[in-house]
Amino acid sequence: MRVLRVLTGALCLFLCACASAPGGAAADPGDPYEATNRQIFAFDQWLDRTFLARTARTYNAIVPEFGREGIHNLLANLDLPVTFANDVLQGEPSRAAQTLARFTVNATLGLGGLMDPATHQFDIPDHSEDFGQTLGVWGLGGDPYLVLPVLGPSSPRDVAGKLGDVAADPLTWIAYKQKIWWLGGRQYLKILDARARNMEAVSDLERSSVDIYAATRSLYRQYRASEIRNGRAGGEDLPEF
Amino acid sequence: MDDMALMKFSRLRARKPARRIAAACALAFLAALGLRAQAATPAEAFVSENIQRGFQILNNRQLTPDQRTTQFNGFLEHLTDIDRVARFTLGAARRGASPEDISAFNAAFKDYAEAIYQSRLSQYSGQTLRVTGSNEHAPGDFIVSTTMVDPNAKSNQQPLQIDFRVLNDNGHMVVIDVAIAGVWLAIEERDQFSAFLSQHGASIPALVAHLKQLTQQLKHGGGRGGSH
Repeated sequence: MRVLRVLTGALCLFLCACASAPGGAAADPGDPYEATNRQIFAFDQWLDRTFLARTARTYNAIVPEFGREGIHNLLANLDLPVTFANDVLQGEPSRAAQTLARFTVNATLGLGGLMDPATHQFDIPDHSEDFGQTLGVWGLGGDPYLVLPVLGPSSPRDVAGKLGDVAADPLTWIAYKQKIWWLGGRQYLKILDARARNMEAVSDLERSSVDIYAATRSLYRQYRASEIRNGRAGGEDLPEF
Repeated sequence: MDDMALMKFSRLRARKPARRIAAACALAFLAALGLRAQAATPAEAFVSENIQRGFQILNNRQLTPDQRTTQFNGFLEHLTDIDRVARFTLGAARRGASPEDISAFNAAFKDYAEAIYQSRLSQYSGQTLRVTGSNEHAPGDFIVSTTMVDPNAKSNQQPLQIDFRVLNDNGHMVVIDVAIAGVWLAIEERDQFSAFLSQHGASIPALVAHLKQLTQQLKHGGGRGGSH
């Protein structure tokens, strides 16, 4: 509960700061706080250059591939109860059944989630769901665009979604020793795992972008919209050429 | 069907309902197979043929790296309508822009796009694409879906979905955009260019100069993202 209160307080403070400081000419109507967002984005990039990218490179160099795969599998399996809840909330019974089957198989035959027999032996496909996507399926739009310190691109819908996911996660409610450290460590490992798996893609984006802030904003919005459509092509509102 | 055959068929219907159901299922299955075989739309066939052509160039070990790049650029020029894509990525700024500015932008954009493809060609390591379906987004405007088959994919990595937006331009098919995992690249470029222009007084010459600088950096293997 204390974790939730701290998170909620910090996010409220941040959102209030954004709401009171929309300075600068915003070219994108969906990004009214662009000036503030760009400053936070620059801070996030600095943090990435000086800390996260270096840690991720060291992690890739020190931990062997099977170790990194095991950690990735474990983190992914721990997310499945939340994915299942969101599958149900989105009215997707077949995807909910897939998630339940993946969790059961990987938690047992996959040694608590370290291995992924659900994909390799049972051919049960993986997918991601979160409460931000559920709110999107229910019709809530993704504007305005926000950049959060450390966490990066987001929106009020996805901030609310993150809080919903924390609330829906069984690990939030189970009592155990040093809980705040375990939860913090898990979040950090998720960021590190994602960064380490995308070293080349991030460096490609940095190298080829005309405006890295706008490129990241476009990627985030389009990717989230695609996730909300469950990757189905053609459902989006495409512009004329 | 003659009378004898009809009688035999009637007896079969009466005595062997299970066999009749099995036969019907087999026919339905064969019909479905036939339908599936005929189901490749012209847009799917166009993408499929061009995927094969593209991978033939990439996998041709008799070509030197320079020859491969030249052939692949020629292939992309034939496959896409680069001027149309350039016009689109300039967005609202093209209205009111001088013909000289638009022409300079089109040339810079073409070089920039080629430099990006060239830098990515070096990362190619045996991936292939499989066409999985298509839909007609608007009359003559198709989205063809493919899945990447990557022999080097990590064991728990989901196959990447790549979609091609294909336009039937008076009987001539062209690719106008590509989406990787749901992210349309021309839309992403348009968003970047619009942001750059809003940060630089809507100056197309400034965008052209920046594109040229970035193209040079990409060609020489360096470079880091633009303004933020």
